[in-house]
Amino acid sequence: MSQPVLRLARLCVDYPAGDGWLGALEDVSFEVGAGRALGVVGESGSGKSTTALAVLGLLAPEARIAGGDILFKGASLFALPDAERRALRGNRISIVFQDPFASLNPSIPVGRQIAEPLALHKGLSDGAAGEEVRRLLAEVGIANPQQVALAYPHQLSGGMKQRALIATALACSPDLLVLDEPTTALDVTIEAQILDLLEKLRRDRGLSMLYITHNLGVVARICDDVCVLYAGRVVETGSAESVLRQPRHPYTKGLLASLPRVAERKHRLAPIPGRFPDLSAPPSGCIFHPRCHFAVDRCKTEPQVLDKDVRCWRAEELADAAWQAPAEQVDDAPVRVPAADGTPPLVNVDALTKEFRLGGMFNSSRVQAVDGVTLRVAPGEVLGLVGESGCGKSTLGRMLIGLIEPSAGTIGIDGGSQKENRRNAQIIFQNPDSSLNPRKTVEAIVGRPLVLHGLASGGDLRKRVVELLEMVRLSPAYLARYPHQLSGGEKQRVGIARAIATSPKFIVCDEAVSALDVSVQAYVLNVLADLRDRLNVAYLFISHDLSVIAHIADRIAVMYRGAIVEEGPVDDVLGPPFHPYTEALLSAIPDVERGSGVQRIRLRGDAVESGRHVRGCRFQHRCPRKIGAICESETPPVIEPSPGHRIACHIPLGN
Amino acid sequence: MLAYTLKRLAYIAVILMVMSMLIFWATQVMPGDVAQMILGQFATEDQIGAVRARLHLDDPIHAQYLRWASGLLRGDLGVSMMMDRPIGPLIGEAILRSAVLAGISIVFVAVIGIWLGVYSAVRRGSKTDRAISIASYFFISVPEFFWAIVVILMFAGTLGWFPATGYAALSEGFWTWLRHIILPVATLVSGLVAHVSRLTRSSMIETMQSQYVTAARAKGLPENVVIRRHALRNALVPTITVLAIDVGLLMGGIVVVETVFSYPGLGRMLIFAIEQKDIPVVQAGILSVTAVYALANLAADLLYAFFNPRIRYGNALAR
Repeated sequence: MSQPVLRLARLCVDYPAGDGWLGALEDVSFEVGAGRALGVVGESGSGKSTTALAVLGLLAPEARIAGGDILFKGASLFALPDAERRALRGNRISIVFQDPFASLNPSIPVGRQIAEPLALHKGLSDGAAGEEVRRLLAEVGIANPQQVALAYPHQLSGGMKQRALIATALACSPDLLVLDEPTTALDVTIEAQILDLLEKLRRDRGLSMLYITHNLGVVARICDDVCVLYAGRVVETGSAESVLRQPRHPYTKGLLASLPRVAERKHRLAPIPGRFPDLSAPPSGCIFHPRCHFAVDRCKTEPQVLDKDVRCWRAEELADAAWQAPAEQVDDAPVRVPAADGTPPLVNVDALTKEFRLGGMFNSSRVQAVDGVTLRVAPGEVLGLVGESGCGKSTLGRMLIGLIEPSAGTIGIDGGSQKENRRNAQIIFQNPDSSLNPRKTVEAIVGRPLVLHGLASGGDLRKRVVELLEMVRLSPAYLARYPHQLSGGEKQRVGIARAIATSPKFIVCDEAVSALDVSVQAYVLNVLADLRDRLNVAYLFISHDLSVIAHIADRIAVMYRGAIVEEGPVDDVLGPPFHPYTEALLSAIPDVERGSGVQRIRLRGDAVESGRHVRGCRFQHRCPRKIGAICESETPPVIEPSPGHRIACHIPLGN
Repeated sequence: MLAYTLKRLAYIAVILMVMSMLIFWATQVMPGDVAQMILGQFATEDQIGAVRARLHLDDPIHAQYLRWASGLLRGDLGVSMMMDRPIGPLIGEAILRSAVLAGISIVFVAVIGIWLGVYSAVRRGSKTDRAISIASYFFISVPEFFWAIVVILMFAGTLGWFPATGYAALSEGFWTWLRHIILPVATLVSGLVAHVSRLTRSSMIETMQSQYVTAARAKGLPENVVIRRHALRNALVPTITVLAIDVGLLMGGIVVVETVFSYPGLGRMLIFAIEQKDIPVVQAGILSVTAVYALANLAADLLYAFFNPRIRYGNALAR
């Protein structure tokens, strides 16, 4: 067998923490063979980004290599003097970072930034480098390389930026390409385009890749091998196929069970309970035992080693055991009684429109963020609202609870006045870090709406807050804590407790689980589903992630450029006939099961056009199934293939 | 860019017009009678009446303003009441001398402040960084008039290297000129350098932690190139804004420094005119200060656009 391009040998990396050290990576070993793609998978805190930085030699100066080695083509990187290490960077080993919006220097034209490694490592002249830059931009699928090379980063869309960064990384034809969550910040249809590009580049150039991600679906598409990290330790490694289909380590099993899937929808997900360990004082024995269903006494004392590619001594006997939902949620999940037909809808939204003015004092333009949306939500119903960034879904959600004043149209919630709406309609925000006041305790945060609406006072107040916390499965011990003492999932649950404090009938969940890790997301989704069943509260569940929506919603509305293009019961929307946009969204989801090699539908272009929609179908510019001039000239009719399932499209049914 | 500059110049004209009204109104409510001040306390009623008539002091206030403002538009700033000379050349010389002081100071503030800021950001946490930090806080906290006295005592008194006060024109020889200007400049610069270096340091540290700086390092660029090409230019954007604000602080400082060092610039002339109730000089002086400040802000905004392409170009390119 040929020599691996990259080999990590028992690498340990520490960061200073208080008086001691925190082990960010412990005994991490893996290798990337020539022309192979290794996926390094883990949730936040798993050490996956530290791994990427260690390979590049870009660890923060305070980090300490506590042991082990990194071998590039058989030679130790740590043995190299700084100058030689630097000569490898951007040349033999290059990296694409997560956030294309932050990875380009805002004040230098894109072409000059791509040319930098060419001039540095290959000594190309300005002219030769410029030519090479245009060739690279064309290779990564940019239609107008000349123009893009001269543009500044803010003039490009996210997808174009990420293509430019990939071009930079490829400039010197590296032996190893490190990708650190390269599609996480992008919309799902753009992610699909970038993944296609990476697949093509791998084929054409025979690239070796180290692909770091939290997304198991992406691993299934791109990677040959996978290495699962938990708390800085490799818990399982193997071929992507076998790890994803037959996970052996309990953590991998839990991760896969936490994943909402479009194809197989369940009543409840099986999340991983508990919280991420404190790495400055890791638990004794197996690092995962406090969260593991399968843990026995021996796990608590005996540190685990990687044996036959799994860090679990029970792996063999548990080979067929599936990850189970925690007991607490099985017994108290009541069966939900669906609302009888003919119940009047709880939320009535008619022709709702919001127009924003953009620009400064002198040249302003208008943007129709929401354009004539009509919606109904029944009591206790979950309406999933899916769409890409900039489609107006958050603006719509905020108008419903009165945070944004509509330009036109009406909103009725249970026939109440605006003041009653404040109590009846609540919101859960995406980012629990910025939506909880850092100077208030959990008790004050959750109690605030109760006091504000005069719902409880004195001794009752605390009793009620404790009750609310219990509903989101937080113990009374959390009352006195501050937000910074909580984990991401706990913070979001406090946000939920605050939202349900006034016993609302309707809650807008604005990307409420998008910032959370998969296992935590599953837990919060279960909490939300339980609350719906217990309190009969209706949700408008806004998300860019169709899998999450498919899991939790009763009905789905698909939004594109300010308007609903398809709406209907979950099964109808997720099955044909489709609106072409819904079809593309579904096809773009990197799915654990499907793997690679499936024919996919791809959208043209990569930005939601801004400005005013004038004529015809709003999806005409990107539609892969555009049928002709009619799409450009006439507003598509709403067709109803089955009761309650509406599609706004010119394509006739049965096609 | 040209259209923008013209638009901003039009704003400045409006600002100056509004300011001229405010200044005119404010100087009218200053206590004391001008004619009395000119003639001294033994003047007779008739003499005072004659002076008042000659200076149109009995006209309604809007008529006085219009007369003054139309003079301004013709480039006529009026006549100093105390010195009985046209204000134009008088104030012109003073402005020039103050401008020399301010210009040299602001260049030093920018160059030394930015350099110190970048130096301590790059060596963050080192002993040098800490020394610069401590010195900065010290210089920010101590007021200018105190520094002025300390440097006079030390360099003019004890060491006797430079003259304590006064001014020498460049025509009297470069060295003589320099000896007179060193102490005022040093006093003016001390606090502002500290101010600018603190700000540059924090903005530089933030920039050095940004993703694109990591991305630049990942290309294999040596650290000095990363700092110069990728970090510095973006880190300087907030510094430029602060430098423009510092021009305002500098003008406040100049009044103090010129008074202490008996430097015959605009600041000292203003103080003198206020004491003497020489209203036309006060008006012309304050209006000049306003104009300088407005122009400094315009310069900063133009520089800002130079450093920040998002301002120079519109959004969105072809997709």
